[in-house]
Order: sequence, then C-alpha cells, then structure tokens
Amino acid sequence: MLELKNLSFSVVERDEDHHEQQLDIIKDMSYTFKKGKFYAITGPNGSGKTTLSKLIMGINKQTSGGVYFEGNDITHLSITERAKAGIAYSFQHPARFKGITFRDLLAIASKTDDEEKLLKIVRRVGICPLSFLDKPVDSTLSGGEIKKIELATTIARNPKLAIYDEPDTGIDLWTITPMVALLKREQVENKTTTIVVSHNRSFLEAADEILIFNHGEIIYEGDLKKALPILADFRICNFKPCPEGEKDAQCFR
Amino acid sequence: MLNALDKELLKTIAELDKLPQGAYHIRKNGKTLSRATTANINIETNEKENGITVTIAPGTVNESVHIPVILNQGGLNDVVYNTFIVGEDANVTIIAGCGIQCAGPESQGHEGIHEFHIKRGARVKYIEKHYAGGYGSGKRTMNPTTKVFLEENAQVEMELTQLGGVDEANRVNEAVLGPGSSLLVTERVMTDGDQKAASHNKIILEGDDSRSNMVSRSVIKGKSRQDFYASMVAKARSFGHIECDAIIMDNGTNETIPSLRAEHPDAELSHEASIGKIAGDQLMKLMSMGATYEEAVNTIIQGFLR
Repeated sequence: MLELKNLSFSVVERDEDHHEQQLDIIKDMSYTFKKGKFYAITGPNGSGKTTLSKLIMGINKQTSGGVYFEGNDITHLSITERAKAGIAYSFQHPARFKGITFRDLLAIASKTDDEEKLLKIVRRVGICPLSFLDKPVDSTLSGGEIKKIELATTIARNPKLAIYDEPDTGIDLWTITPMVALLKREQVENKTTTIVVSHNRSFLEAADEILIFNHGEIIYEGDLKKALPILADFRICNFKPCPEGEKDAQCFR
Repeated sequence: MLNALDKELLKTIAELDKLPQGAYHIRKNGKTLSRATTANINIETNEKENGITVTIAPGTVNESVHIPVILNQGGLNDVVYNTFIVGEDANVTIIAGCGIQCAGPESQGHEGIHEFHIKRGARVKYIEKHYAGGYGSGKRTMNPTTKVFLEENAQVEMELTQLGGVDEANRVNEAVLGPGSSLLVTERVMTDGDQKAASHNKIILEGDDSRSNMVSRSVIKGKSRQDFYASMVAKARSFGHIECDAIIMDNGTNETIPSLRAEHPDAELSHEASIGKIAGDQLMKLMSMGATYEEAVNTIIQGFLR
C-alpha cells in the first residue's frame, strides 16, 4: 500500500573550514509496506527513522526516488494532499499553539465540530477526563498530555496509513501498555496500516514486522526474535568509550 | 434612526443586531443618537458637555452597558470624554467600541478617553472593539485612552481589540491598583498595508496584594508597523506579569518593550516577549490534518487573536 522506490534524502553541511559536505540521511531505500500491517522502525539515533517518516508525510522533500501510495505516485504531492489521500502523522515533538484548544484540533482532524462525535473520538482514544477537550494546546500542557492529544488527532483522521514518531516520549510507564493496545486495536478494527518509530520494547513486541535502520539503510526486516541480537549489538556500539581529544560528536551518541 | 450601514457597524463592534437590552448610549458623528438608562445604571451628559458619565449603583449585578460610537461623516475628528463610576460590590459588563465608515477622501477620527473609577469589591468586564471600513481614501485614525482606578479588592478584566482597517492608532492604557485589587488586560491588534499602531501601557501596583497581568497579541500584515510599550511599577507587595507576542506575516515592523520597576522588596514582576513568523511546526501540524496552507495560517491567527 506504500512503496518506496530508490528513495534518497541528503543535506549539505558546512564543516569548521566552510567546506561543503554532503550528508546522506536516507540512502537509495526501496521497501513496500503492506496493507493493514503493523511496522516498528527502530535503530540508533541519527539512522534516518524520523527523516523517512517525514519523507512519507511530505514534510521533508526527497533528493531523489519516489513514494507510491495505493498505487498512485505521491512523490510530488504536498503535505495537505497526502493527508487528504489518507496518511496521518503523529509528531515526536508536537507543536504548541496559542489560543487553540484540543477541541479545535480535533474538529479540524475529524472534519466535524459536533460535540457527540468529538466525545466519541475522545472516548475511543481513552483520554480522561472529557473536560480535556477544552484545554488549550499551549506550553502549559505536560509532555505526556500533548502526546495524548497528538495521538488523538492522528486517530481522528481515520487514516489508511498512520505514522507515529516515538509516541511514547514523555508518556509515563503505565500508560504505554494501553497506548500500544490502542494502536493495535486501530490496526485490527480499522485495518490501519501502522508505522511506529520507537525504541520501546512494547511497540516492538506489538509489531508484525520490525525494520532496523542504520546509517540511512534498512539493515534488517523480520520478527523481533531475530532482531534482538542486532539491537543488543547496537547497545554495545553506542556505549563505546570515546578517547580523549575525540572531536567527532558521533562518538558521544 | 439606525440605517443599514449603522446597523452593520454596530454588529461588528458591539455584536448588536438591534438596540441592546439594559442601559446604552449610542453616539453617532459626535452626537447622542439614542440612550436608555435602568434603575441601577444612569447615563448623563457630563458638565463640559464633551461626553457622558455612567454611574452604576452599588450592588448592581448582572447588568450591562453598551456605549458604541459610529462615525461616517468625512472630516470629523470626534473627541469624547466618558467617565464610569462603578459602585461598591457591583458586577457589570461594559461594552464599548468604535466603528468608522469612511466613504470619501477626508480623514475621520475618534479619540475616546475613558476613565473608570471602580469602587471597593466591584467587578467589571470591559470589552472594546475598534474597526474601520468603507472604500473612501480618507485616513481613519483611532486614539483610545483608558484610565482605570481600582479601589480595594476591585477586579477588572479588559479586552481591547482593534480588528482592522484603522490607518493610525495611538492607544494609551493606564491603571492604578489599590490593595487586593486585580487587573487583567488583553489587547489584540491586527494591522495591514501601511497602517501604524502604537500601544502605551502603564500599570501601577500601588496597594498590597494587588495583581495584574497584561497580555498583548499583535498580528502585523503587509508593510504595517506596531509598537508596544508596557511598563509595570510595583510600589507594594504585589504581583505583575507582562506577556507580549507579535506575529509578523509579511514585511511589517514591530518593536516591543516591556519594562518592570519594583519599588518594594516583596514585588514579584515578570515579563515574556516574542516576535516572529508563524511557527513552522504549527503549520505542519495543521496541514498534516488536511488543512491547506491558507487555512492553517487562518486557524493559527484566529487562535492567536482569540
């Protein structure tokens, strides 16, 4: 239902001496996501997980290659057009507004301001209490609250494809299990193709397919069992000691 | 007595479809058009005959006063001095506003000087909207001044809005707060084209435990310019906060200067100020929910000015 064909994304960076250097964030990636399946994308920081998610939503523009959604070429479609085609995106760091409430966002997402319909969505997402609806989506919200709102506005779209970028950021431990259950329920009941970018084991366990990213490439696709040794390997790599005088920030990641 | 244009202006500035319930005073082109008083609210022309005095009896609750001003006479600069005396423990809403309809090349202006004396324990909500329209080339100016004196435990909430179409505005707000009193001011100004608006605010926290919050929201379109100055002076154990945000949409200019002055060791004063474009993450979020770029911008601006 979603096909990536030789997709690449590069940026040009300048080093200390103002020499331009091309950084390849996503490298010639080809992959097909199947309808109604639950995918978890994981991998070390800087491996291109968020960048790929944003390429699918149209937030980042690819350097080369194409994106096909339900057989249609959406490579050059805008964010709005992709949203209307049925793709929804849950941001890792959701925007905070001034003077805009949860109700306003939900009304835009669900294309209705009918009180009953909005409450139905709030109940479906399991946000309590219902008075939450009139909370302003501003800097007064906690990290967990804003992530719940982000999730609700994504689900309210009734998307064919839902992308969640680290949905568990700022969420307390005991909320993760119900959150995973909610995304699973949306997948099963509404046949929502689901892509979750996460490091959290609960999401990896819930997934039908695990994709491990490294340096802008998919280095593994398959079940969790075979993924675990690779992920364990990353842990070792990520904690390698950085020698004194090391300048490369990559070492400290 | 009210023609179609008058009615449209009244609807814009005071959300009135017809003559309001309760006390009101409608001023058109510098003269009284219509007025009504109630048992608790008296409205009379002041001694100098350059405005009105509104007297609200102590203990008056759930009543409102409408005092809109409409102007459609070219070349007229209407200056009016209005005084409001709100009795002890009253709880009322005052709705003011000025609408200018400019059809010709001559300039039109309105300067409304509003002085409020809020007696002990009284609560007032003051709503003021300014709007100018019409296809004439004359300059439309509005220079509103509000002076508020709050006695012990009085509470005032002010919503001051300039909706658009005003070429030049010089806005002045001054307040002196007595013990235990509180003042919340929210000012919203939108300018476009070559319009200019300046807002000067001075809030003096004179009594112990007085509190004030001044919020300013500016939207600057076209090549317009807005300047916002707010100073809060604490002379007692008190709390004050200034929050001013400006969104620049095209090639406008904005200067924002919040200033705080504490003359008492137990004063708590703070401010936050920001000027910037519409945030990219807000646009992305709304567009990812199916809104077009234009719809997203509108939603953000409407929320910001709400």
